[in-house]
Amino acid sequence: MIVNASNIQKAFGDAQVLKGVSLEVDAGEVVVLIGASGSGKSTMLRIIAGLEHADEGQLSVCGTPFAHGKPTSPFNGRVGMVFQQFNLFPHLSAIENVTIALRRVKHLSKPQAERSGVAALENVGLGHKAKSYPSQLSGGQQQRVAIARALAMEPDLMLFDEATSALDPELVGEVMKVMRGLAESGMTMIVVTHEMEFARKAADRVLFMDNGVILEQGKPTELFESPREDRTRQFLQRVRGAED
Amino acid sequence: MNLGALLGSSGLLWSGLLLTVYLSAITIVTSTVLGAVVGFVRASRVPGLSAILRIYVELFRGTPLLVQLLFIYFGAAYIGMGWVTTFIGAVVGLTLYEGAICSEIFRAGVEAVPPAQHEAAHILGISKWDSAVRIIMPQALRVTMPALIGQEISLVKDTSLAAVIGFAELVNQSQAVIGNINQPMLVLTVVGALYFIICYPMSVGARRLERKAAR
Amino acid sequence: MHHESTGWGTVLSHTDQFLSGLLITVEVSVLAFIFALIIGILGAAARRSRFRILRVIVGIYVEIFRNTPLLLQVFVAFFGLPALGLPLTNFQAGAVALAANAGAYLVEIIRGGLAAVPPGQLDAAHVLSLTRTDTFSRIVLPQAIRKVYPPIVNQFVQIVLGSSLLSAIALPELTGVAQTVNSETLLTLQSFGFALILYLIVSNIISVGSNLLGAVIFHPPLEAGGRSAGKGRRRWLIIPGTNKEPRLKSGV
Repeated sequence: MIVNASNIQKAFGDAQVLKGVSLEVDAGEVVVLIGASGSGKSTMLRIIAGLEHADEGQLSVCGTPFAHGKPTSPFNGRVGMVFQQFNLFPHLSAIENVTIALRRVKHLSKPQAERSGVAALENVGLGHKAKSYPSQLSGGQQQRVAIARALAMEPDLMLFDEATSALDPELVGEVMKVMRGLAESGMTMIVVTHEMEFARKAADRVLFMDNGVILEQGKPTELFESPREDRTRQFLQRVRGAED
Repeated sequence: MNLGALLGSSGLLWSGLLLTVYLSAITIVTSTVLGAVVGFVRASRVPGLSAILRIYVELFRGTPLLVQLLFIYFGAAYIGMGWVTTFIGAVVGLTLYEGAICSEIFRAGVEAVPPAQHEAAHILGISKWDSAVRIIMPQALRVTMPALIGQEISLVKDTSLAAVIGFAELVNQSQAVIGNINQPMLVLTVVGALYFIICYPMSVGARRLERKAAR
Repeated sequence: MHHESTGWGTVLSHTDQFLSGLLITVEVSVLAFIFALIIGILGAAARRSRFRILRVIVGIYVEIFRNTPLLLQVFVAFFGLPALGLPLTNFQAGAVALAANAGAYLVEIIRGGLAAVPPGQLDAAHVLSLTRTDTFSRIVLPQAIRKVYPPIVNQFVQIVLGSSLLSAIALPELTGVAQTVNSETLLTLQSFGFALILYLIVSNIISVGSNLLGAVIFHPPLEAGGRSAGKGRRRWLIIPGTNKEPRLKSGV
């Protein structure tokens, strides 16, 4: 099992953001988290990535057990994460962004790292932009470089935190295409998104989070066509209303 | 530490403080007005005027205030304007210098207002004058407030340079007091504390405004 | 009535003196700047440290030196310190005062530059499992340096202009020389005018020079802009030929 989480709780100050979330993700599964802002989905993702520390609960990711809410040893690239704001290093070119961890964490030599890096960029369709800096790339291109940067480390798990929410609509497609390709190739993915089309087409399981708990989960067709909970139905109606 | 002797000279320090406050107050007003006018004119890019004003600003920002004061005060005497007192020299010099810096603050403030605001006002049919005064300026002022206050703090400190041309403000008087009682550290510390009492609250206020503006 | 041309001629004949004064200006300014940078770096580190006592001490230092006049600080260094048993020459006192004053501003500038690196950068570095050292030296520091470069250059210019105050403690830097020449020749406008011109040239050389240096050492090039007012100084030149492709916003 790639992710085994049980009863994760997390509070920020007075606000209890996660109230006991349990989640199991098997190798090759594509799990999509949906829900309103503040429901805790990003926080859950960040805890899995080791960016936040859970207050309570058991967690094991890619075979690494957690203690005191954080990983007991560094992932070293086994967990890749793609952020809403891309978080590319602006002073490094695309290829440098992709290879910095290959050289400093995996200790590859410069030629080895460059080869892997160029391959990763070509996989997302940006081999020709290797020497460009983030400020010279469109949002969609930047996000694809960010994906290449994570993939170059050969992760077992990829986390996507609203990867397309900061993109202009016409650029969302190119990133979605990469994500779908990744899902089809068998990557284990946990995706927080508002793009219901992606959930419909690529997800094995959709989880609806509300108010710090997983309210409902199921196959995409089940959840979208016949949700069991009222709040799930309300949320889906609101989202559909926006899409129409 | 002979505090008694210091108290004896306190009259000198007190008059110095008053003159510092007086000079600061007058110059704050004149330099802000000058800065606002120059800043707005430059921001609205009136062709011939903008170039001249740019030279003015670059000249006063690229040279030391002290030399400007010396030039103005002693230069006035040189060309026969003996009626220019140290006070007048200080006011003119400080106004021109601080005005140049203020103008950059105002210019940046106006330019920071998104062009969309000008466009929206234009579409609604609001006259250029009204849109400048009622829409652009309030937004520009909100952004510039913290920097302006910072500038006033600098101005208060800069009044100390008038000491060099003989104006009897606080630092100038401190030299006289040191001459009297020969306790330089004590006198300078007291004078420093007086400036601090004036400037520190303004610094804190400016920082608070900055935090509010950032939200 | 003096002929303006003879006036300038006389003053210009003192060019040697002016240039020696300028040399002292540059010497004291560079020395002060180096020390101010050291203070700024150490102070910024102290302000970001876990130890409250360090943060408070540096905080007090910063507030004192930013809320009192430089002239007063110069007098403390030159008249006050000897009374406490530390006699300094006018050059030394000047350098100390300029360094301590600029250092206070640099502490805040450097601290601000480090804090301005977006937290998302740290997230990305963390997820890539970069070590804390690597994250600081390869991710945070380069971005912070790019941010603080213009304000630090501006602070150097302020030091050079502030060195004029050292004439008040009889240091024969440029302003002091101008005063001397003025008292000798009585050609006020020309004496101080010449000094003003020299200062203007120097501050422009520093600005343009730092632009060129910035274009050389920073890739991608620093953002054009610098329309900051207040303590900010020049507009940045966009040097033709050193920028790469035009900046694309998302959607282009």
